Amino acid sequence: MTVTDGAITAPEETLALPAGPVIANRPLGVFTRPQGNEGWKSWLFTVDHKRIGVMYGAAAMFFFLVGGAEALFIRLQLATPDGSVIGAGTYNGVFTMHGVTMIFLVAMPMAAAFANYLLPLQIGARDVAFPRLNAFSFWCFLAGGLLLTSSMLIGGWFQNVPDGGWFNYAPNSGVLFSPHKGIDFYAVGLQITGIASLVSSINLIVTVLNMRTKGMSLFRMPVLTWMLLITQFLLLFAIPVITVALFLLMFDRLWDANFFNVAAGADPLLWQHLFWIFGHPEVYILVLPAFGIVSEIIPTFSRKPLFGYHFMVASGIAIGFMGWGVWAHHMFTSGIGPLAVAAFSVSTMFIAVPTGVKILNWLGTMYGGRLRFTTPMLYAVGVVSMFTIGGLSGVTHSIAPSDTQQTDTYYIVAHFHYVIFGGIILGLFGGLHFWWPKIFGYMLDEGWGKAAFWVILIGFNFTFGPMHILGLQGMSRRIATYRADEGFAFWNMVATIGAFVIAIGVAMLLWNIYKSTRDWRRAGRPDVGPDPWDARALEWMTASPTPEHNFDSEIEVEGLDEFWHRKYGKDETGRVVRAAPTSEVAHDGSNTKVHLPSPSYWPIVLGGGILLVGYGLIYNLWLAAAGVVLLVASIYGWILEPPDDPEAAGHDEDGHDDGDGHGDADSNGDSAEAEEEAATVG
Amino acid sequence: MSKRPMALVWLSSLLVIAGTIALIVVAIVVDDNHPLSTLSPVGRHGREIAELINPIFIVAGVVFFLVQGAVLALWWRFRVAGSDAGDGEFGYYEDDEFPEQVHGNNRLEVAWTLIPTVLLAVISVFTLIALFALEDVEASDEDMVVTVIGQQWWWEYQYHLDGNTDTAPDFVAANELVIPVGVDVPLDIKSRDVIHAFWIPKLNGKKDAVPGRSHDWVIQAEETGTFRGQCTEFCGLSHGYMKMVAVALTAEEFAEWRDNQITAADMPEEGTAEHAGWEVFSQQCASCHVVNGVTSPANRGGDPESAPDNWDIYGEFNGVYAGTYLETDTLVAGAAPNLTHLMTRGTFAGSIFDLYLNAGAHIPYLELAEKGTLNRGELEAWIYNAPERKPADADNLRGMPARTGLSPDDVDNVVAFLSTLD
Repeated sequence: MTVTDGAITAPEETLALPAGPVIANRPLGVFTRPQGNEGWKSWLFTVDHKRIGVMYGAAAMFFFLVGGAEALFIRLQLATPDGSVIGAGTYNGVFTMHGVTMIFLVAMPMAAAFANYLLPLQIGARDVAFPRLNAFSFWCFLAGGLLLTSSMLIGGWFQNVPDGGWFNYAPNSGVLFSPHKGIDFYAVGLQITGIASLVSSINLIVTVLNMRTKGMSLFRMPVLTWMLLITQFLLLFAIPVITVALFLLMFDRLWDANFFNVAAGADPLLWQHLFWIFGHPEVYILVLPAFGIVSEIIPTFSRKPLFGYHFMVASGIAIGFMGWGVWAHHMFTSGIGPLAVAAFSVSTMFIAVPTGVKILNWLGTMYGGRLRFTTPMLYAVGVVSMFTIGGLSGVTHSIAPSDTQQTDTYYIVAHFHYVIFGGIILGLFGGLHFWWPKIFGYMLDEGWGKAAFWVILIGFNFTFGPMHILGLQGMSRRIATYRADEGFAFWNMVATIGAFVIAIGVAMLLWNIYKSTRDWRRAGRPDVGPDPWDARALEWMTASPTPEHNFDSEIEVEGLDEFWHRKYGKDETGRVVRAAPTSEVAHDGSNTKVHLPSPSYWPIVLGGGILLVGYGLIYNLWLAAAGVVLLVASIYGWILEPPDDPEAAGHDEDGHDDGDGHGDADSNGDSAEAEEEAATVG
Repeated sequence: MSKRPMALVWLSSLLVIAGTIALIVVAIVVDDNHPLSTLSPVGRHGREIAELINPIFIVAGVVFFLVQGAVLALWWRFRVAGSDAGDGEFGYYEDDEFPEQVHGNNRLEVAWTLIPTVLLAVISVFTLIALFALEDVEASDEDMVVTVIGQQWWWEYQYHLDGNTDTAPDFVAANELVIPVGVDVPLDIKSRDVIHAFWIPKLNGKKDAVPGRSHDWVIQAEETGTFRGQCTEFCGLSHGYMKMVAVALTAEEFAEWRDNQITAADMPEEGTAEHAGWEVFSQQCASCHVVNGVTSPANRGGDPESAPDNWDIYGEFNGVYAGTYLETDTLVAGAAPNLTHLMTRGTFAGSIFDLYLNAGAHIPYLELAEKGTLNRGELEAWIYNAPERKPADADNLRGMPARTGLSPDDVDNVVAFLSTLD
């Protein structure tokens, strides 16, 4: 690599559109686009991928606290034998909602937060391909999440809550066995969040495939972008499968269909197959974004490029493909026959290989590096260490005969919490600390951040480590209590104490956010600079917080880690030297002459329509009809509103382009999104 | 912090970690007082599974220490100390020293792809051999087949002494599966409502009981004894309270137990408390619970003459009795545990309560009714208000309803009647 002395002193080329003719007759009322980028309304109507990402993250943190509170109730109930903190019925609802919340309303949207915020930045784009659809994805997700969560309150505390487990096996999910409305909430709510995931996945796939900046070939994309792209493909194919299953379940429950009615000849294994064909790729949907985040953090704080970039990408793709061939390992005891068990046992074993490759590549990155253990780095190394434990216990499950002893015991609970908490949540928290300065323009306090990490890590291991032992000692999952003479009391008490230690750690993390924000304001909001960590990818090449238009000018990419190579080069002796100051390389966000998609009223209205349809399906079809009216109306509004609004903030005096909308299509095509957007609503 | 205190911190952390791991290993190896443990199998299958997985646990343990050791070693070796301020010219680094910018190493990548692949391939061979051996249910020399039927929230065992599960069983028991020691006993696992899983951890892995399906499984105990079990597929409200027991007896003891189970109960003498209890039982309990010889759905009003004295009370052996799917529009007798020989069992209510207070005193299983001290308080409380002791949804015909209309005398009499069922 040669020294890139191409510090950008002037914008290479502005992205402003030529002024069009002024339209005399402007559409009225709701058929104009909303204006302004300040105040709470601007958040409701925003189509800015960064704000949408922040809202995804905030919603996910809210649901994380809900799911965490549920977890604490689970641990209180199980702390002692014959526990009676919450009854068996409530317990079933609580553990079901804990699983559903943490998977669908925390891990998925928190990954979506990073995907929305970072993916366009990392490929040098100005926004996603379909900004209004992106906003709709968020509101639709929030509608589904609120609908699901409201089941805990509607009709009394935990009276109508889903109580069939997150896996919701038939026929226990039928009206006969679960007569209250809880599982209706599950079936409808998850279909709604599924719509959100599906729309978002298509949007992000198109964004990555079509909107990369000049020179950003696929193999110059950061690993996070790669992992997010693979995740979106997994979502694209997995969500329809669960949607089919939920659709059948909804018809069974609401309109007396017989898809899972054994008395009418149904085979309950149908649900299991449909659920796990979705459910296992779902594991990789959750974990690949976290792997991507770790792959960004470790090189930054090792001061080295990622070890084996191509192998990291290839192993991600391999996981993406192999993830479809292992689902029946959740069904080793369901009676699928020895041949099927043998096939899935072997396929499951070998999916450990690409995962192991990732772990070793991270260690390879750290080897020989200059390791700086900042808070994000602690979380990332925590993932390497903790995920390895989850991966090893995963291999022991693939040994099918042994799995007949382990499945549905606390050994499994331990395993997937090491994967989901130790791998995914730690990774996402690492990402939170890493990109916080980029998103908000100030650092989180390192002292509190590190302290919170250690408390969470220790609490985590004391909570879930003992569960390995409990499982091997024969404690089943999903039992509301256990007998005193079964010998489970000691480790359960340890696990409960550990869970409260995690809660303290999370409280420290939240306190850190509050304190850092307060200190930053008191200090007069000092500028953190574009690149506080000396990082590598393009998102660090613009101001912090990211200006609404992302980059002042189009970036031409010449290689992997473009930003880093603009900062550093090699001298004659091959030694790495500073090529240009960061302040010269990075954009300062001063270019306001950038054409941006305008906010829109309709995504949130459409989400509201879907929410009404959801409640209507559960309670009253007239309400659903009203929801359909709102839904159709908002689709029309979406179509009929003008493609752009010249007065919207972030725009400039030359932006009178509504009505004609013919921007000059750049090679990367991102300025043509108004037309793309208008063309896709149909 | 200077070097010395830092080294002390590291040393003490390592000691704490090593001590914790040692404690955990001791806790696992010393496997006393864990009646459901998979770590100290007593059955042939459980032992074969343990022999398959234990070496793999060791391999996994080695990999665990290698990776965690590598993380700690890299941390120790390559960390840079310094200010956390992060405002230097070089971003978070304040110096201009860079490590060698290594992008990867193809040989290493191939190596750490191939080595685990080969390792897993070896493991998969052993796994497949064990898998097909364990699934080979036909290898039994015993004629007897037990149909195991899961129902919310208890287990029924139908003993087919001739091995023909299509005909009516010779007798039926609940919650406690009694088997002869050393013999592979084939099980035919079914469900009447939702999916359950039959699991006696010390004997064999679990097998789901799926409504509409029949799953072959096998169970064997290498030593006599009582082995606990727990339904392990979530089956609704009282899933956690759906337990069971397997009891392995010597061949002679098993024959004695079997011959007793086939007999019907005796009608209590009129005028006794037992007879009064039988009257209450017939009114309040016999819609669901059968006591061969003295109650049946036909004699709800209390006519002992119409009560058949054997399994044929069920007439045609089909539908719910054969363990096919239960359509629960109506309650039917037999949809609750058969109580003909209740007093021969060590537990009741889905094996969540001990029937005898001195159950831990090692009374031989066959002498429980004779020598045990009845757990009268728990039994009376159960009869009076079962849902309080074990959550049930009796309005929707799931679980045992409360009988809070019974007077204390009624409850005493019912217990007296039940005490005759040995």
